Amino acid sequence: MSNPFGKSNARHQSELLLRELGINSLPVCPFLIADKLDIEVKQLPSNNKGVSGMLLRYDSQFGILYATYLENPGFERFSISHEIGHYSLPGHPDIILVDGIHQSRAGFISYDKYEMEADYFAANLLMPTFLFETALDKAGVGLDAIEKLAAQCNTSLTATAIRYAQHAPEAVAIIISTNDLIDYCFMSDTLKEFRGLDWLRKGAPVPGYTFTHNFNKKASNVSDGVRKDGDTNLQHWFGGDHEIEMLEEIIGLGSYGKTLTVLSTSDLPTIEDLDEEEALMESWTPRFKR
Amino acid sequence: MESKNIFQERLVEARKKRGLSQDELANKTKLQASAISHFETGSRKPSFDNLKRLADALEITSDYLLGRTNDPSGIIENDPIYRDFENLTAKDRDTARDFMKTLVKRSKKKEGT
Repeated sequence: MSNPFGKSNARHQSELLLRELGINSLPVCPFLIADKLDIEVKQLPSNNKGVSGMLLRYDSQFGILYATYLENPGFERFSISHEIGHYSLPGHPDIILVDGIHQSRAGFISYDKYEMEADYFAANLLMPTFLFETALDKAGVGLDAIEKLAAQCNTSLTATAIRYAQHAPEAVAIIISTNDLIDYCFMSDTLKEFRGLDWLRKGAPVPGYTFTHNFNKKASNVSDGVRKDGDTNLQHWFGGDHEIEMLEEIIGLGSYGKTLTVLSTSDLPTIEDLDEEEALMESWTPRFKR
Repeated sequence: MESKNIFQERLVEARKKRGLSQDELANKTKLQASAISHFETGSRKPSFDNLKRLADALEITSDYLLGRTNDPSGIIENDPIYRDFENLTAKDRDTARDFMKTLVKRSKKKEGT
């Protein structure tokens, strides 16, 4: 049975929905989409951080409840889009089969696949590639670009930053951290292709000698949404053999309690440059044993 | 996989009972004819949106199509899609319950039309 989960399916389904609804400009409004799909949408009243959104169903009538505890409209729109993903994605009705009749599926280990696919769907719905890449071309590079795109897409800085790193043609990385630990890091394809770099893993310490390391020592930097920048070095963040200068831009994400770091450089040598450099080094290295 | 088979069987059975070809059902649901064929052979799983369109066109309930009731017009209450319910505060649970009542009302209103 073909029921492919993942990014490509989520992208295909979200673009199909946008096309069907005739939506072809930014910002994409999930409230409007829900309305066109005859899905009721309502806020959850409390500040409970346990749930960001819920899809409710009574036979063919659907409703979405969403949380507002972060007071971040971009996050709320993402939560609603995530639930629209559960509604629109093939195979997701399987979620409701986790019941008494289907005991064997009660511990269905792939449940996260549904959540991840709904996340991909939401990102693609609010920032569809065919619109996002055109906007990205005009937005520039770094945190300024992410802020412009977030304003244009009406999305959270975090979700926009991830999308930005996935689509930027330049050598960029975005890092989300809490205190002295990395939550996650996304690198652009150009940076990923640069050889010899280590991946920043979830739970790894924020590297010392970085502005982010110092920034996160002061809690008010995060809660007050302070913004800072400075010159850093590729090696400080990702190791490798090359000391390449990068711009490190940092912003505290307020009540989210996390920090967004954006690294960018336009000076990343190409593989051809590196090969040439290595060949040159080789040619100048004395060979005493000849 | 039991439910998948029930869905396939019930879709074919309901479509034939209404005297519709796959193409005709596709037209009524605004789905592609190939999608109907894939659902019936089990090579593609439906979304909730697909289920809603199929149920509306065939004048049966989604719950019947999913094999959750044996009554073609039957509806299951307390659906487990109510997931995360246990994580809600008392205030949010009240909102969720009221919201469900709104959905029930809308469903009944739709039935009456």
